[in-house]
Amino acid sequence: MTEMLLRTEHISKAFIGVQALDDVSVDIKKQSIHCLCGENGSGKSTFVKTISGIYEPDQGKIILNGKEYGRLTPPQAINEGIQVIYQDLSLFPHMTVAENIAINRLRQSGKKIINWKEIYRIAQEQIDRIGVSMDLNATILETSMANRQLTAICRALSMDAKLLFMDEPTSALTRQEVQRLLKIVHELKEQGLSVVFISHKLDEVFEVADEITIFRDGKKIGDFKSDELTERKLAYYMTGREVTYPRYKRSLADDSPLLEVRGLEKKGNYKDISFTVRKGDILGIIGLLGSGRTELALSLFGLNPPDAGEILFEGKPVKINSPSAAKQTGIALLPEDRGSQGLFRERCIRENVSAAMLGEISSKAGFLDREKEASLAEEGVQKLRVRTPSTETVVGSLSGGNQQKCVVAKWISTDPKLFIMDSPTVGIDIGSKAEIYELIQSFAAKGMAIILITDEMEELLANANRVLVFSEGRIAAELDEEDLDKENIGQAISALISGADPEKGEQGDQT
Amino acid sequence: MKEKIMTLIQRERNLYILISVTILTAILFAFIFGNSMYSARNLQSMAYQIPEFGFIALAMMLSFMIGGIDLSVVANANTAGIFAALILTGVWLPGLNESNAIIAAVLVAMGASILFGFFNGWMVAKLSAPPLIATLGTMILYSGIGMALTGGKGVTGLPSSFTSFGTAELWGVPLIFVIFVLVAVILSVILNRMTFGRKIYLYGGNRIAARFSAINNERMAIAIFVVIGILAGIAGLIIISRVNSAKVGYGDAYLLQSLLVCVIGGIHPDGGRGRAAGVVCAVILMQMLSSAFTILQFSPYARKLIWGFMLIFVMGLNYLSERRAQKIRVDLLRKRTPQAD
Amino acid sequence: MIRHKIVTGSELILILIIVLYCIIVAVVNPAFWGFETLFDIIRSSSTAIIVALGLLVVMLSGGIDVSFMSIALFGSYTAAYMMITYKIDSLPFAFVVATLIGIILGMINALLVNWLKLPAFIITLGTQNFFHGVMTTFISDKTYGAGVIPESLSRFGSSTIFKVNTEMGVMGLTTSAIPVFLLICLTWFILYRTSIGRGVVALGNSEESAIRSGFDPLKIRLFAYGYIGALAGIMGVIYIAQVNAVYPNKLVGDELMIIAGAVIGGTKITGGSGKILGVVLGILIIYLLNNTLIFLGLSSSWNKLFIGTLLVISVAVTSFQARVKNRKNLIFTE
Repeated sequence: MTEMLLRTEHISKAFIGVQALDDVSVDIKKQSIHCLCGENGSGKSTFVKTISGIYEPDQGKIILNGKEYGRLTPPQAINEGIQVIYQDLSLFPHMTVAENIAINRLRQSGKKIINWKEIYRIAQEQIDRIGVSMDLNATILETSMANRQLTAICRALSMDAKLLFMDEPTSALTRQEVQRLLKIVHELKEQGLSVVFISHKLDEVFEVADEITIFRDGKKIGDFKSDELTERKLAYYMTGREVTYPRYKRSLADDSPLLEVRGLEKKGNYKDISFTVRKGDILGIIGLLGSGRTELALSLFGLNPPDAGEILFEGKPVKINSPSAAKQTGIALLPEDRGSQGLFRERCIRENVSAAMLGEISSKAGFLDREKEASLAEEGVQKLRVRTPSTETVVGSLSGGNQQKCVVAKWISTDPKLFIMDSPTVGIDIGSKAEIYELIQSFAAKGMAIILITDEMEELLANANRVLVFSEGRIAAELDEEDLDKENIGQAISALISGADPEKGEQGDQT
Repeated sequence: MKEKIMTLIQRERNLYILISVTILTAILFAFIFGNSMYSARNLQSMAYQIPEFGFIALAMMLSFMIGGIDLSVVANANTAGIFAALILTGVWLPGLNESNAIIAAVLVAMGASILFGFFNGWMVAKLSAPPLIATLGTMILYSGIGMALTGGKGVTGLPSSFTSFGTAELWGVPLIFVIFVLVAVILSVILNRMTFGRKIYLYGGNRIAARFSAINNERMAIAIFVVIGILAGIAGLIIISRVNSAKVGYGDAYLLQSLLVCVIGGIHPDGGRGRAAGVVCAVILMQMLSSAFTILQFSPYARKLIWGFMLIFVMGLNYLSERRAQKIRVDLLRKRTPQAD
Repeated sequence: MIRHKIVTGSELILILIIVLYCIIVAVVNPAFWGFETLFDIIRSSSTAIIVALGLLVVMLSGGIDVSFMSIALFGSYTAAYMMITYKIDSLPFAFVVATLIGIILGMINALLVNWLKLPAFIITLGTQNFFHGVMTTFISDKTYGAGVIPESLSRFGSSTIFKVNTEMGVMGLTTSAIPVFLLICLTWFILYRTSIGRGVVALGNSEESAIRSGFDPLKIRLFAYGYIGALAGIMGVIYIAQVNAVYPNKLVGDELMIIAGAVIGGTKITGGSGKILGVVLGILIIYLLNNTLIFLGLSSSWNKLFIGTLLVISVAVTSFQARVKNRKNLIFTE
């Protein structure tokens, strides 16, 4: 079929102990915008890596532009016009935008001598193609996140891309930047490219995607048109079960504020932030990256002291200048990036779980109380239901879900009054997700206050009894229990996040 | 249960190998060199030479554990020693009688080395300076201070009541050797049993996660460099007491050797791993080799060749063994049911 | 239009420091100000600049090398030894042999650094000792004095271009300035105009991204470490020519000063960023301090103190600037 740009037939790929791809057959049409959806570990990244030649399939055929391949090498894939933009963008920070754009093409051409005029010409050509303007002489470090992404796109274009894969492209963009990106993607489609988004959340992508392919557990679940899917259906297909996480309802009598934030401001991060949290509240905070949510969390944890405003804890004003001050106050933080910020990978579970309580489990002379530590670790493992034969297991060998539970256990040991959780279930399997939700709700039911920062609507609606919607550094909306009970509240919140006024109906009709 | 033992052996595998190699070498040398190596005199001589280098090695071990290389350790020891020597020879504080001079010398030397260590720690903690070039700068600075004070000439003629420490013995064993073993044991206890030691492992293993676990990273960096400074100061005092003089540049060769000892001792340069026992073992092994080289009358050049070769060879072995350990881990994983992720 | 900033803020500061220093010294001791001092500095820093150019390339690639002095020694010593033993009196011969040896030794470094994946500092500290040991054990460890040195080398070492008449007599700019100038041009060309040069910078920026862009880290490392090896060889020959003697144990030990110069010149230890002008200025500052403090009445014992202080200040300032920037963007690196 001349319409088909890429067809894969019965692709399978296994790694040690894991069937990453299982009999996957996908068609990507020419001049289309396609989306590959699935949870982490569903196989979508493996699929892309197989198409781009990094992995060799155990079985199956890849048909590109009419040519059949049993396996592709990276140079072959590039020759056929396949380009992948990874989430980290793979740019060179100290080199200029122009050079970042042109470098792959020059590398491919095999030229030994560099002609800077040529570099400039190539860069300018791509920029013009998508109709943006950037400072070509600025280094990547000096360039905004959105422009970095455009640089990555231009680089892919310079390689004469026919099929462009973009891995989670919108996670670090503001609303406006997302709109601009989507416009550009449309442009690219007009110019004859096919663009494939890899994503596990669909909000912005829904409106541009012609086709959506859903992956789960290495298998292709199905192809859908965007109007065939609702969020609920999408979640069902991606997770394989009816998403009926139990809703959380607060049932404590004490309504006095535990945490009160008044007029908090940090230049460049957030402004005019005022809210309260009571015992037993699970306050959900949702908003795009850069909207101020993580920055606020870090402020409450002492790593980003605010410029102005007040924080009151249990009625008394507090200054939180460091994580240990936060811990003293009774505040805990589950950081956003568990790998680099939460875990000590080569150390065992016991040492990870006790890491925040070292002062408390040592004698006056400074000796570590081994017994106290062991019981702390056992308790933590039990409470959080970490699947492990012993607390001596090295944390690096645990699954994502169990790793995250260890980080949670670490902070639960400190018996916090307020637990801030930043994106707690990213990259975690469904089973662990459900368990973590259960645990969060049980903590709240016993009187802990929780601030839950998340990107996922389902997670938000299931767990939060109150919601703050952040947009561009401010609180765009505050929703209470009544609001959250309303029909289609999910859509309304999405609209608020992307800045559209839900009443004006700027977003498309979605059921 | 078997898995538990397997993992335990895996974790301490390198240490056990090292200890075995040391013992084997000792036995081998007994056959090859016999009495020239194991005469009471030679053993004593080794026991005298080990401590000054041993303290430098322990200091370097600590800096490895937090993922950096402290280039200024030897310069620190040296310059602190020069300060002490200047007081002991009456160039500084001439009015003091001998015993007061000794006290003053020790206090000033230790104070200086602590200050030098503190400055290193301050740069790393408060300025986020990369340890390698921060200590490159302080190495030149500290030895520059020593150079400016002495003009490159040795400070000689230390009072015998001081140098007697360098030759004092406790039941036939050199006092400084006893002190070295004691300090090594203390460090080992700190690392294995004390909260501070645990924090060192955590901080060295993942500094960012340490920060997010409410560990005070700034305090850790400064504290560790101060301890390094203390060890350097002790080394400096031992050195001048043994050679009865203080001179800029003495002990420069110790830098390479201390790195070698740490690598052999199983201290990973990325940080967060290693045992003091490993370093002590490696120090003893190195000393035996050194003595063997002396007996065989190897030139200083030949020794350089061997040390250099050993460093690379041991790193190569470490690399291969880690590759194998990875494979074993992966194979163990294969036996478990695949966990969805 | 493509704008390549040749002189950025940090280089300007270095130039300012040099100018101020010269003014101060000239005021205190007018004897400082003259062609003699200028030619002297150029002569003594020429070797350091040559090898610092190589160091820049290696550091740009994200690595470091502390064995270059021992490579310089190995290459030049072997060349001189061969010339003396086999009575070959040809300057080109010296350069060719030394350069070839330098390239080979440098490539050994590259292989080890690429394969072992452990800190390049430690690896090259090992090779530094190993190379020096091999040379002295298997080739020779004798010193060769002025009488035995091949004519061509001695002549080169004392030859000058561009003579000037001063009250001290006739002063000349050392001929070694020519290879320095040529090598600066060559290094500039390689780094800014060749694919491999950009590959070096790319590798230092991000190894993973460089691989994705189609670069081969091994090839780039072989080039970078081979290049510093070659430059070290050249430098060694010039050194022998200048001191008019062949020692088996000089040079080794001076590496750290050169690294200090590169760091003062703004080269990042983490790789991917560094300028030729910066490195040249950094080395010049070091040599100014090493050679001219005497005009201020300070003996050479003060050199290290000044240099150490300068390096510490330089590291402190650049580190703190980076830290402030990171903290503002909530990037935590420690």
